[in-house]
Amino acid sequence: MACFLRFKKHIMCINSLDPHKQPGLWLRSSDSSDLEAEWSDSVQKYGELFYLELSDSEEESLLPEAPAVNHVRFSENKIIFDEDYLREGRKYEPRLKKFSKILKSRRLLPKRYNKKNSSAPVSILKHQPTQKMGIILQQQYKDVSVFVNPKNATVIKAKEHLKLLEVLLGIIHQSKWRRKAEGANRAKLVVHGLLPGGPAMKSGQVLIGDTLAAVNDVDVTSENIERVLSCIPGPMQVKLTFEIANSGQKETIQPKQKKAQTTGSDLVRLLWGEEVQNLQQNLQSTPHIIMYLTLQLDSETSKEEQEILYHYPTSEASQKLKSVRGIFLTLCDMLENVAGTHVTSSSLSLNEKLVHVAYWKEDDKLLLIGLPAEEVPLPQLRNMIEDVAQILKFMYGSLNSAFCEVENTARLDHFFNLFFQRAIQPEKLYSRTSPQPYDASSSLFVDTLPGVQWLTLPQETQMEIDMALSDLEAADFAELSEDYYDMRRLYTILGCSLFYKGYLVCSHLPKDDLIDIAMYCRHYCLPPLVSEQRIGHLVIWREVFRRHPLRPTSEPDAQVFREPEGRYFLLIVGLKHFLLCVLLEAGGCASKAIGHPGPDCIYVDQAKATLLQLEGVEASLDERLASPSNPCLSSADWFLPSSRDKLESLTSSPLLTKLQHTSRAITSPSSRRRLFSDYSLKTRKLSPSRGSGGSDNGVEGAGEGSGPSPHTTPDPLRKQGAKEAQSPGGAQASGALLKATKKKATLPNPFHLGRLKKDLSEKEMELFDAMKLTSGTENTLFHYVALETVQGIFVTPTHEEVAQLHGSIHPQLIRNFHRCCLSIRTIFQQSLKCEKKKALNVEGNPRSAHAASFLSPVKEHGVLFECSPENWTDQKKPPPVMAYWVVGRLFLEPKPQELYVCFHDSVTEIAIELAFKLSFGLAT
Amino acid sequence: MAEESAAGAVHLLCLAASSGVPLFSRSSRGGAPSRQQLPFSIIGSLNGVHMFGQNLDVTLRSARTEDSAVVWKTFHDSITLIVLSSELGCAELRLERLLELVFGAMVLLVGLEELTKIRNVERLKKDLRATYGLIDSLLVDTELAGDLTQCVDCIIPTHGPLLQEALAGFAEEMGSVFASLVAGGRVVVGTEGWWRLGAPEAVLLPWLVGTLPFQAARDYPVYLPHGSPMVPHRLLTLTLLPGLELCVLCGPQPPLSQVEPQVLERWWQPLLEPLRACLALTPRGIPAGFPLHPDILGLLLLHLEQRRGLFTVDLGGEEGPSPSARRRLLRSFYVLVTATHFPPEEKAEEPGCPTGVPRACYVVCGAAAEGPQGRQDPGAGLRLVAVQAGPRRLLLLVSARSPTYALRGLATRTLHALTPLL
Repeated sequence: MACFLRFKKHIMCINSLDPHKQPGLWLRSSDSSDLEAEWSDSVQKYGELFYLELSDSEEESLLPEAPAVNHVRFSENKIIFDEDYLREGRKYEPRLKKFSKILKSRRLLPKRYNKKNSSAPVSILKHQPTQKMGIILQQQYKDVSVFVNPKNATVIKAKEHLKLLEVLLGIIHQSKWRRKAEGANRAKLVVHGLLPGGPAMKSGQVLIGDTLAAVNDVDVTSENIERVLSCIPGPMQVKLTFEIANSGQKETIQPKQKKAQTTGSDLVRLLWGEEVQNLQQNLQSTPHIIMYLTLQLDSETSKEEQEILYHYPTSEASQKLKSVRGIFLTLCDMLENVAGTHVTSSSLSLNEKLVHVAYWKEDDKLLLIGLPAEEVPLPQLRNMIEDVAQILKFMYGSLNSAFCEVENTARLDHFFNLFFQRAIQPEKLYSRTSPQPYDASSSLFVDTLPGVQWLTLPQETQMEIDMALSDLEAADFAELSEDYYDMRRLYTILGCSLFYKGYLVCSHLPKDDLIDIAMYCRHYCLPPLVSEQRIGHLVIWREVFRRHPLRPTSEPDAQVFREPEGRYFLLIVGLKHFLLCVLLEAGGCASKAIGHPGPDCIYVDQAKATLLQLEGVEASLDERLASPSNPCLSSADWFLPSSRDKLESLTSSPLLTKLQHTSRAITSPSSRRRLFSDYSLKTRKLSPSRGSGGSDNGVEGAGEGSGPSPHTTPDPLRKQGAKEAQSPGGAQASGALLKATKKKATLPNPFHLGRLKKDLSEKEMELFDAMKLTSGTENTLFHYVALETVQGIFVTPTHEEVAQLHGSIHPQLIRNFHRCCLSIRTIFQQSLKCEKKKALNVEGNPRSAHAASFLSPVKEHGVLFECSPENWTDQKKPPPVMAYWVVGRLFLEPKPQELYVCFHDSVTEIAIELAFKLSFGLAT
Repeated sequence: MAEESAAGAVHLLCLAASSGVPLFSRSSRGGAPSRQQLPFSIIGSLNGVHMFGQNLDVTLRSARTEDSAVVWKTFHDSITLIVLSSELGCAELRLERLLELVFGAMVLLVGLEELTKIRNVERLKKDLRATYGLIDSLLVDTELAGDLTQCVDCIIPTHGPLLQEALAGFAEEMGSVFASLVAGGRVVVGTEGWWRLGAPEAVLLPWLVGTLPFQAARDYPVYLPHGSPMVPHRLLTLTLLPGLELCVLCGPQPPLSQVEPQVLERWWQPLLEPLRACLALTPRGIPAGFPLHPDILGLLLLHLEQRRGLFTVDLGGEEGPSPSARRRLLRSFYVLVTATHFPPEEKAEEPGCPTGVPRACYVVCGAAAEGPQGRQDPGAGLRLVAVQAGPRRLLLLVSARSPTYALRGLATRTLHALTPLL
C-alpha cells in the first residue's frame, strides 16, 4: 500500500510541474480514495485548490460493494497518513519531493518527463485524459485511460501464470519475437494482440502495433513492466501512453473520440477548463460579452483600448459589442447626470438581434454583461449581473482585485466561459440523466433566487445530519487539540452546510454566507454535477471574502460583540452525491493566516470523515427523494379531458384513479401508507413527553382526512362510494388541516429544526400529513416555489418529484411557470425597492402619495393560462383546453417571503388563500 | 427638493438624423407642459451615442436607469426621436408607442415628404411648430388611452343607431366616406369608412380635434400617416354643440363655404336631444343606467380587431383614489399586462404555443404603510384584473372590498355585459 502511494504521488508531482496546465484544475479518473496525495499537488500559488475526480459509474458497477471498500480503505490510509504526519512533525515540506527522491533512487523516475518539458509546448489535454477513454494525440504518442482491477486479476494469474501485462491490461506482447531483432534489455513493448474483454480492448483505442511507452507517466520497457504493474494495489484508472505505430491512424481515431463524448462529461471537461468544441461552437455565433471598464481615463497615456481592464470572449460576434463600448461609457456618465440614478441596462440591436446589456457600476469602474434577449430576458440579466458581482466579491474581495490582477485573467476566462455556457445553453450542461429539460427551464428562474433549495427531511435524518455537522464544527478532533500541540489551531470552523444531490439538507451558516457559497457552487455547476454523477473526490479550497453588514460604528460599545478581523476560507469536500461546505476563519481565536495557506489536510480529512459518517443517511435521503412529493402534486396531463374520457367508465372521479395508479407505480400503496404511519409513530416515540393534546387532535383530523385524499388509497369497499364519501370527507380533512395549522404559529423551520431548539414532533407530523394543499376532492396543485429570504432558502418540488409526474404537457407547464414567475418576481422586486425607498423618507413627502397611483407595491399577482395538448390530431373536435393559474405572492410581514404556486383553474377559489397559508407554513 | 422637482419629467427630442441638428424639443413635468429643457450638451450626447452606434451597425434602442428610461428611434433614416422619461413606472412600451405617435403627428401636419427630404432645416423647424399643440397633448396626462393602447377612444351613446343613420346620410350628402362625431377627443359615432382608417391617423384625428382651440368650423389640411402620407386631405370640422364636433375628411371638394347651415340643420336639428345626451356622457363614456358592479372603480375595454377602446374611471364610488390616480393605475396595469403577459395587439395569437396562452391576470396592490398623519393610503389593497376573450380585452380597477377570488368572475361578467357595446 505504502509503495503504491509513493508511486502515485510521484506521478502527481510530474503533473503539477507541467507549466501548461490550466490553473486550479486537476483531474484524475481513479476510484481510489487516499487523500493527501491526490489533491495536494493541484494546490495553486495562492493556496487555491479545485480538485475534481469522478468515480466512473460504469467501472464502478463492475466492483462489488464499492462504498464499503472505500470506507475500509479510507481508514487504512488515514492510519498511514497519521504516521507520516507524526514522523514529519509539523513541517510543511512537500512530502512529494521526498517520494520522488525515493523513486529516483529506485530508478523509477522517468526521464521522459524532462525531455518533454524542454520540447515544444505540450497540449493541455496531455495530462487530462477524458474521464473514460479519452485519447489524446500528440506527436506520435497517445494516452489511453483504462480501468484495471488487480483483485480480479490475481485470481486468474494464480491459475494460469500469465503476465501482469496480459492480466491487468489485456495486452499481449510476445517478447520472444523481438528478442531476435533487438537486445532483450531495451525491448520495446509492442502490442501484438489484445485479450478479448480486457481493459485495453474495451477502451477501443489500443491498436495492434502500438508500443506501450509509459504507464502513468513511468517509462516502461519489457524489463520493468511487470514491476511497475505490480505496484498497482487496487482498482484504479491507469494512464497508458502508447507510441503510435503510424501516423495514418490519426484520422481513424479522431471520430471515435467525438463519439465518446457525452454531455455529462462535457460539463466535467468544462469544469476542468478544457475547450469543449461542440459547446463552444454555439457560443461563437451568439453575441455576448463581459467587460470591465474604467471610467477614469489617463489622458497622457493614450493607448488603444486602455479603458478595458478585462473582457471576454474574443469571438467575432462579441467584437462588435466591444467596439461600441463608447456608448456604454457615455450612457453611464450622462444618464447619471440627467436622471440622478445609476444606469442599469440598455438594449441594442445587432444584426437584427436584440441584445441587452446590464451595467454594474462600482466606484469609477463599470462592469458590463451583454447577452441576447432571446436567451436571457432583461430582468434575469439584471439578477445575473448582481450575482456575478457578488460571487467575484466573495472570491476576490472586490471587483477591482478580481479584474486588475494580471494572474487572474486565465481564471476569469474560465469563470466567464462557465458563466456564458450556463446563460446561453443551460440545457447542454444539465440534461444528461433527466429525460425532460426540466433543469434548464427551472434554472432560468430558480438560479437567480436569493436562496438555496432546501429539502425537507424526516426528523431523525435531520438530527443525525445535524449531529454530524455539529461534531465537525466543534473541531474537537485530536489533531486540533490546542493542548496537544501547545499551539493555536489554524482555523475556527464558523459553520458548514451539507448538500445532497444539489439540495441543501442542513446548514449551520449565516444566511449571507450560505447564499454566497451556494452561488459559488451553482456557478461551478456543482449541483447538477453532484446530482447526476457520483463524485469520486472533490476538494475545493480558497480564500473567500464575506460580506460584512454595515454596522453602526457611531457608538463603540465594549459590550457589543465585534467580529474579529479574520480571514476566511472556504472548503468544499464532495463525495458521491454529497457536498460539504465548510467556512473556516483564521485569526480571531485561531492563529492568524500568513501568506496564502493551502488546504490543511486535517480539515479536509475531518470533512471527509464527516461525509463518510453520513453515508448511512444516504439511503433515507434517497428514500425521501423517491417518495411522492409532499405536499403532493398533480400532473397537468391528468386534467385534460381526453384522459378523463378514457377513464370515465372506471370511476366517477377519473383523476383519483389516475393518481392512485401512479402512486402504485412508485411503490405499492399499502406499503407506502405504512411508511407514513411509521414515520409518525417513530416521531411520537421519540418524544412522547412532548405530544400535546392539541396537536393530537390536529393529527387525527388530518389522518381521517387523508383517507379520501387522492394520494392515499382507499380500500376497495370505499371505492364504490367514493364520490359520496369524498366531498364531505375531503372538506372536513382540509378544514381540520387548516385548523391544525392555524393553531400553531409557525411550522418547522430548518434551522430551528437543525438546532433542536423547538418542539418538533407534532409539527413534524403535520408536515407529513399536510399532503394536499388545495381543497376539493381533486388535488389541483401543479407546482410551487416558496422563498424565504431571512434564512435564504426556498422549497420547491425536487427534480425527482417532477420527473415522476411525467406527461406531455407538464414539462411545458413547468417551463411556463418558471418564465411567468420570473416576470412576477420582477414586479415584486420593484415593490420591495419601493418599500425601501418609502422607509427611507417616511416623513411627510408628497411623493409617496403620488406613488400610490402606480402599481407598486404589488403584493399578489396572478396569471391564468390556457393550454391544449400538442399535436392534436383529431380534426373533428377542437383540442381540449386546460386552464391553470400561476400566482405569486409577496409577504412583507413579518419577514419577506415570496410564494409562487401553479394550480388548476377548477380549484374553488377560496382554496387559493388556503394554499397560500399552508405552503407558507411549510416553507418557514 | 432637487429630486422632487426632477420627478415625473418627460423630455422629447427631435433631431435631423443625418446632421444631428435639433428640430424641436418638448418637455412635460408632473403631467403638465413645461418650458424647462435639457441642456444642449445632453441633447448632443444623447444623439451622439445613437449615431456612434449607427455608424458601427449597432442600433441603440433603449437604456434604463433605476427610475428613468430613454428610447431612441429613427424614422425613415431622416428623423431621430429621443424620449427621456423619469415618470414613475415609465415603461418602454409606453415610450416606444409615444414615439410612433409623435412621428405620426408630425407626418399628419407636415407631410412625410418634407420630413424625409429636408432641404431647409429652418423652414422645417418653423413648420413643425404647428405640431407642438398635438405633441404636447401626447406628453401630458390625458383622460384618453389611445396614445397607449393604439385604439380609438370611444363613447357609447344612448341612441347609437339614430346618430349613426344621420351621420351616414350627412356624409353621403357631403360626398365623403369618412365622417364622425367627436366629443372631447372621443368618437361617438363614425361611418364605416372612418373606422377603416389606419392605425396612427385613426387615433390622431380625434385627438387633434380635441386639442385645437374652439372654433365653429374649420378647414384643416392633414396628411394621413398611413393612408396618404404625401398627399394632403382636408379635415372639415363643424361644431354642432359646444364640445361636440362633426368631422369630415374629404378631398378638394366641397369647399367649407358650401356646407350650408341648412344642410346641418336638416340632419342634426331633429337629433338635438340625443346629441345633448352624448355631451353629458363625456367623462363617463357609457350610458348612466348601465348596470356595473359598484366595486368597479374604472375600466378599460378594448376591441383589438376594430381597434376601438372604452376608457373610463368616472363610474361613481366616492372612496378610493382620485380619477387621475385611477387613470394612472389602469394605464400602468395595461403596460404591465401588455408588456409581460398578453401578446401585443398587433400580433395575431400564435396557435403554435400550446401552453401558456394567457387568459386572465390580476394584481393586488400592497397595503402600503400608513401615511404620516395615520390616514390610510387610498391605493392600498386595490385590485386590478384583466381578462381576454376573443378580440376583446377588459381591464378593471376594483376596490379593495372585493375579494381576490371573485375578481375573475366579476371581470368575465362585466365583459359579457359590455360585449354588445363594443
